[in-house]
Amino acid sequence: MGWLSSVFCVNPLTRKGLFALLLMVLEWTRPGLSSPLRPICDLRVLDHFIKEAWDAEAALRACKDACSIATNFTVPLTRVDFDVWEAMNIEEQAQEVQSGIHVLNEAISSLQASNQTDVLQSHIDASINNIASIRQVLRSLSIPEYVPPTSDGEDKEMQKVSSISELFQVHINFLRGKVRLLLANAPVCHQGVS
Amino acid sequence: MYLLCKWMTKMRSNRLKIVFMLCLAFVTTGGQHFESKVAQLLQDETEHIKCFVEGKDLTCFWEEEEERNHIHDQYTFTYSYEKKNKMACAVSSLYLLASNKTILFCKLPKTPFFTTLDVQVLRDGRMLYTRSLNAENVLFLDPPRNLTVMSSGKEGQLNVSWLPPLLKYMDDSMIYEVRYAVDGSNMGKVEVIKVSTRLVLLGLQSNTRYKVWVRVKPDGVAYKGYWSAWTEPVFGVTPPSDVDPLIVLLVIFIGLILCLLSLTVILSHHKFLLKKLWPDIPTPEHKFPGLFTVYKGDFKEWMSHNNGSMWGRSVPVYTEELPSPLEVLSEVSLTSHGTSQREERKPVEEDEEKESERSDSGLTDRWRDPPHAHWLMEQLRALQENPESRSQSSLLQSHDTYVTLNQGDNEQQVDDVFEETLPLQTLFTTAGTSSLGTSHSDLGSLQQSSGSGRLSSQSSFEYPNHTWPPKGPGYAYMAVADSGVSMDYSPMSSSRIAELGKHRMYTNDYKNEIFPHKWPLSGQYIKSG
Repeated sequence: MGWLSSVFCVNPLTRKGLFALLLMVLEWTRPGLSSPLRPICDLRVLDHFIKEAWDAEAALRACKDACSIATNFTVPLTRVDFDVWEAMNIEEQAQEVQSGIHVLNEAISSLQASNQTDVLQSHIDASINNIASIRQVLRSLSIPEYVPPTSDGEDKEMQKVSSISELFQVHINFLRGKVRLLLANAPVCHQGVS
Repeated sequence: MYLLCKWMTKMRSNRLKIVFMLCLAFVTTGGQHFESKVAQLLQDETEHIKCFVEGKDLTCFWEEEEERNHIHDQYTFTYSYEKKNKMACAVSSLYLLASNKTILFCKLPKTPFFTTLDVQVLRDGRMLYTRSLNAENVLFLDPPRNLTVMSSGKEGQLNVSWLPPLLKYMDDSMIYEVRYAVDGSNMGKVEVIKVSTRLVLLGLQSNTRYKVWVRVKPDGVAYKGYWSAWTEPVFGVTPPSDVDPLIVLLVIFIGLILCLLSLTVILSHHKFLLKKLWPDIPTPEHKFPGLFTVYKGDFKEWMSHNNGSMWGRSVPVYTEELPSPLEVLSEVSLTSHGTSQREERKPVEEDEEKESERSDSGLTDRWRDPPHAHWLMEQLRALQENPESRSQSSLLQSHDTYVTLNQGDNEQQVDDVFEETLPLQTLFTTAGTSSLGTSHSDLGSLQQSSGSGRLSSQSSFEYPNHTWPPKGPGYAYMAVADSGVSMDYSPMSSSRIAELGKHRMYTNDYKNEIFPHKWPLSGQYIKSG
């Protein structure tokens, strides 16, 4: 377990680190054509990640000047129009969520390489771990993965931000909005309910 | 919705009028909530532009400054999402009766969530207020519906249940607050409960009427907002406390049994308990027969009437006659006695039968001085007549006996005892009185004690109160039968013990080493030692 945690930069002493590590191990140990993961329908799991994202956003809201960087981040759109959202089918919703998570993950991971303060680094690490966990949760709900194709022009569903605080605002809003709506309406969790 | 209704009032057809009435009804019902929300936010919210989401519509309002007239012509409200195109919203006014204030507000239909909204208020083209917010953070929910309070049947409990406000996607993100108080009292308690729409109130008073209120708020994880208004109070009565009659009966029964048991114990041991609680005061009445009953506590009279008592006579004897012999004994030297005793013991057994006294080694010299025989006989008679003195003398003898045991020849102890008794018998038979014979045992014991007193020259000093006519060492020993005042043999014996370094029980080991020695020296006198 020790080398696992070191390889994936996960701190097993924290709850979230342990959870993330557990999910990774579960993913590894499952056989090729194995039975699917037990669906994680409880939204409290996602709420836990959202709470941590709130902490990161609050910490970085205060840090403006020191935490600004030169490059821009491509991040997903977080806006949810309920009428529009309800009109979409599950696959479209899943696609939008998965692509958004992918893009967000890339943007936050790019921060790891740069030299940041300890506080910021801890939040960055936590966010990356949480995104990985959310991916596991989506997989448990049989939501297909989707990687958006790299496009030259600006993507419709994407936007650009220029500061780390904005990046983490997008992060929290995306989790609270689209990801949560998708998980709340996952068909696997409503199979027993007519 | 308000503007729509205003437009619809201008229509003249009946159908439209009906629609208008419905619209009016809708507005008033919505308005009640709306006004209360506005009034509440007016107090709680600190921002200039106060916004809240009701349902899916965002409403932003601000307070009008009083001195202004024609308010809504001058104000402009603009908003933009994600810093894109700015849009304008129609401004309306509302007069609040309760607070006597006028507010200006704007409703944004179908507000997008999870994105940043920028709003501005302009007055006469100039920026008055501005604010940046997210719609999902300013949810202002309606109060919970269908609040019911029912008795659970258990003592001090009430079951409270309600329905959440009508909102999609937010059922699992709500937190409720239940307030309850005794009807008529202002002191209420609050219970917070997450997600669940049921609560059991515990620890309530029995048979009491309670008032219950509930309000709701987003839990702050996915959605944030303000506390809703309290519901209308609902009353509930707690069930009365009932004492199981079976338990009461059992308690009474057990109590009776315990009482009976305790009563039985007390009665069976009443004497013992009485003794412990109320002990008898000991009285010496049994020792003084008739003192309290006949003579009523007059001891003198009792004494005078009590002829058979030996106490009256024995006392003067003891106090008058005994001390001096000890002093006499002290003059006797120690050195010659020891050897002379042993030498003379055997050959003079027969001759020394008359002698009845034994003394310490210190009295050897005394023995060489013959005491007066007549006086000696008198003393013997006195001793005979006073058994207490004998007893005292025996006590003294025992003291002396202790002394000699320290030194004496153990192997001769038994012999000495027998030897001592013989001469005493002889002495008394020559006197020809049986009374003397009765004192034989005494004298024998006296002999024993004298025999033991080889080194007990110090013992003589223990009888200081013996008054003894200084007629020689022999008389001194007779006075050993004293009043018994010198009963504390312990100093002497203890000192002897310490000196000799031995610890022995000087109880019955009489030793009379002097006795055999005495006889050859003075055939008819009792040696005192």
